[in-house]
Amino acid sequence: MFAWRLLLREFKTGDVLTLLFALMLSVATVTGIGLFVDRLQQSFEQQSANLLGADRSVRRDDPPPAEWLTLAQQNGLETAQTVAFSSMVFSEAGLQLAQITAVSANYPLRGEFLTDDKPFAAGQSTQQAPAAKAIWLSSRLASLLDVSLGDTVRVGENSLTVTRFLVRDPGSASSAFSIAPRAIMNDQDLAATNVIIPGARVRYAFLYAGNSEALERFDTLLESRLGEGERIRTPVERGERIGNTVGRAESFLLLAGTLAVVMSGVAMALASSRYVKRHLTQFAVMKTLGATPKRLRALMGFQVSVITLLGIVLGSALGLLVQQLIASLLGSLMSTALPSPNLNTLWLGVATACISIIAFCAPLMARLIRVPPLRVLQPNTDIQAGTASLFLFGLVGMYLLMVVYAGGWRLPSIMMLALAVVTAIVFVVGWLLFKLSRRLSKQATTGWQLGLAALHRRLLSNLFQLLVFTLIIMLSLVLVGVQGNLIQDWQAQVPDDTPNHYLFNVQKPQLASIDAYTQEAGIVSSDWYPMVRGRVTRINGVAVDTLYAQRQDEPEIVERELNLTWANQVGEGAKLVSGDFGAEGISIEQSAALEAEVGLGDELEVNVGGLRYTLPITSIREVNWQSMQPNFYLILPQSVLSDYQANYVSSIYLNEQTAPDFYRFMANYPTVSMLNIGELLKQVQSIIGQLANALQIVLAFILGAGALVLVASVRTTLDERLEEGALLRTLGATKRIVRQALLVEFGALGLFAGIVGALGAELSLVGLQYFVFDMTLTLHPILWLVGPLSGWLIVTIIGVFASRAVLKVPPIRLLRSI
Amino acid sequence: MQDMDTLSALTIKQLNHSVATANGQLDILKGIDLEIKDGESVAIVGASGSGKSTLLGLMAGLDQHSEGTIELYGKALETLDEEGRAILRGDYVGFIFQSFHLLPSLTALENVMLPNELKGERSARKRAIDLLTSVGLDQRLEHYPRQLSGGEQQRVAIARAFASAPKILFADEPTGNLDSKNGALVEDLLFDLNHKEGTTLVVVTHDPDLAKRCDRQIEIFDGELKGL
Repeated sequence: MFAWRLLLREFKTGDVLTLLFALMLSVATVTGIGLFVDRLQQSFEQQSANLLGADRSVRRDDPPPAEWLTLAQQNGLETAQTVAFSSMVFSEAGLQLAQITAVSANYPLRGEFLTDDKPFAAGQSTQQAPAAKAIWLSSRLASLLDVSLGDTVRVGENSLTVTRFLVRDPGSASSAFSIAPRAIMNDQDLAATNVIIPGARVRYAFLYAGNSEALERFDTLLESRLGEGERIRTPVERGERIGNTVGRAESFLLLAGTLAVVMSGVAMALASSRYVKRHLTQFAVMKTLGATPKRLRALMGFQVSVITLLGIVLGSALGLLVQQLIASLLGSLMSTALPSPNLNTLWLGVATACISIIAFCAPLMARLIRVPPLRVLQPNTDIQAGTASLFLFGLVGMYLLMVVYAGGWRLPSIMMLALAVVTAIVFVVGWLLFKLSRRLSKQATTGWQLGLAALHRRLLSNLFQLLVFTLIIMLSLVLVGVQGNLIQDWQAQVPDDTPNHYLFNVQKPQLASIDAYTQEAGIVSSDWYPMVRGRVTRINGVAVDTLYAQRQDEPEIVERELNLTWANQVGEGAKLVSGDFGAEGISIEQSAALEAEVGLGDELEVNVGGLRYTLPITSIREVNWQSMQPNFYLILPQSVLSDYQANYVSSIYLNEQTAPDFYRFMANYPTVSMLNIGELLKQVQSIIGQLANALQIVLAFILGAGALVLVASVRTTLDERLEEGALLRTLGATKRIVRQALLVEFGALGLFAGIVGALGAELSLVGLQYFVFDMTLTLHPILWLVGPLSGWLIVTIIGVFASRAVLKVPPIRLLRSI
Repeated sequence: MQDMDTLSALTIKQLNHSVATANGQLDILKGIDLEIKDGESVAIVGASGSGKSTLLGLMAGLDQHSEGTIELYGKALETLDEEGRAILRGDYVGFIFQSFHLLPSLTALENVMLPNELKGERSARKRAIDLLTSVGLDQRLEHYPRQLSGGEQQRVAIARAFASAPKILFADEPTGNLDSKNGALVEDLLFDLNHKEGTTLVVVTHDPDLAKRCDRQIEIFDGELKGL
């Protein structure tokens, strides 16, 4: 009861409240951002799932075993199946080889089809698969077969009615170059076609969807049942184009959260140190009154536990509120509703509270228990406590928190390194500067000199305060810098006139007339690239089948038939990383090379139209796939490919004005395939927009938290400043002089913190750009202006505002109240 | 413990105390021998920096001495650890400080209850009210220290010092922060209660009038003891 009463009284005085507030802020920030990131991740996964048609898919050569279906259903998952095969499609006018997919009635589980009742149109979305006895044909296939809606076509021995023109199906989004004409039918009609015979090249896909726990459970079950070469495909890898963007945004949010954790740690340590400072004598008094260290430990343990618990409960509630606020602020900008928050993420806040208390609060509190009772007689009695060990404890705690939060060591390590460098600079340069300030203020007669003298007088506490100011400014600048970089990068990646249609299967004689049309209509288009199909069969003389037999998934360049091209220059949206592009060899895309573990000098055997060519890799290109320019994993010398008949490919940008006419014009070329990726692009752009907004809101939130920490930091030395100010005024200093002294002291602290903060931010940004965000290294001259300026301005305003009592309250009242 | 009354309250033999400073070791107390009888009142006087407060702190077990022995009611302080000394203080010792040292977050009543509550005693409240009444503050029970004058705060501190019925009371300049009128009032209260409770009293003071009211005065000069 006594412990309760003591705690309640402590709440009244406000010191415990400051501590609780700091803890609450930590938990709320971490929880808020954690929940929001989780919701964004879920949302992204859902959007990517739309591209996959499900949450997961497994492709295999045989129908999925019945056991898989039963297991999936037992785990509460929905399942669907597709069967993809090539077959002739017959109409009255003729026949055509087509890529057909027979889908179960509930396909797609995620996402939608885009179909239209006119050929070569933009399409409307539907989640309904073709009904039994119906077939949807791509516009190109329909024109090749010369059929319209309502006509009958024959697949194998089964006759089906054309009911829609297929614009896009969920599975086609990332296979832009699968050029065969496509058709979609219901899998009930498959048996009657009699085309699936032993030996036929058929790809079955087993698809499933459901909530994340069920998915996780089932993934584990399925994993052990997969055959050789089979693997579970997830939406994230499928949606790699937007994946990169979202991945970076996640990294940013994690960084923001991590920095928020650091700020909260600083706030906690500040609040604890203020609490301890103000309670040292009280604890000494209790000791003289007979309180044993054991009793005090119990008292303290109780108080800290209650504060922790309260901090967790209130902080989590506030965090939930904050993420709801961010989500609702973003709501109007989002194209889709965010999934509801996953409350499992709350443990992050709980962990933060516990680690924060143990790392930042407990060691300081332990000092209270160690306070010698003699302090009641001799107030300057020191506590035997290693400041270095306290510092170390805090640093280790901070690192641990960042690792927990970021889920890895890279980001925390970069930040810790930068923090260490900045701490060293602050202490060494700060110490020198404060010494210099002493020399400049030999006579304390003006406000300037008083202010400078104050810098030196409170050397240690000022150095710590300077460190806090610097860290907060640095962390804020890092966030501002990264955010600016990211948004700039994204906007550069998907500019408004990014090509949104691919034209392929264009024959050489058709190029000139299409070019003439686009030039006249002012339509932006890329160069034409010749395209020849080929397959990589050997690497350095070893057959690819044996080379990658051990790996679960084959590298993409050997897994399937590739589109090969030749080119005189590297091309738009790509750049040469190493080697000589003009050399008589293969130019390979960087990520494909990494995946297949090949490099310059390795020899690839490529089978083109039955002939095998062995060529060395002579250059490596980095391709920005988000540029939507036609690009290729492998570019071969013209001498190899020029004898083959090539189809040409190009990408163009159509807007609402130019599209209808262009579609009509293209109807003259029924053999040309046109893929509309505008929808996908819009999706990418909208995600980027959402993320940019999310980042801005989170940034504002964290900068606000940073400002609060600055206020807390000023408050830790407030008593001293008030006492000194009151004394000065008692001794006859005018308000003007005292104000000037405060302005100089805080101004100098802020300016210096801003300069070192900018340096620390620049250092961190270089590390982050290189190691975490995988961006081009750029310097940020603006930080060097914003850092010192904002440091000077903000610290001065906060400092002078917090110390305003010195100027307003009569000195005698101040001296009495301290 | 039954023979408590026949014991000395405090026996100090060959007490030396020194501290390490930047300029080497500083001897604060040198070769002190002192005995204080149970129930006796003793004033320790001396110039600032002579070592009075250090001696008081060592006698009360607030700090560990460098050499020699200090026995408080038969317990050798040098044999006790921090825990043991705290228990001893709780059982035998009361304190009054120059700057009162009331806990700002607690009311007058709660401050006086504190020593007994720390020991887990249930009668803390009644005893505290009685003591506050006896120092004339029965109308100020729920006031916080900041709402009380200096004299009133020191009276609360006196009540708190007697709360756990200590055998020995240490007072460090109890009137040092008060004007003469309040000083005199606090002095009277201190000696009245001391008399009533039969407590041994050790006072460190600069005030010759206060010193004169004690049974015995001893002076410390440059760390050494001089009987007066």
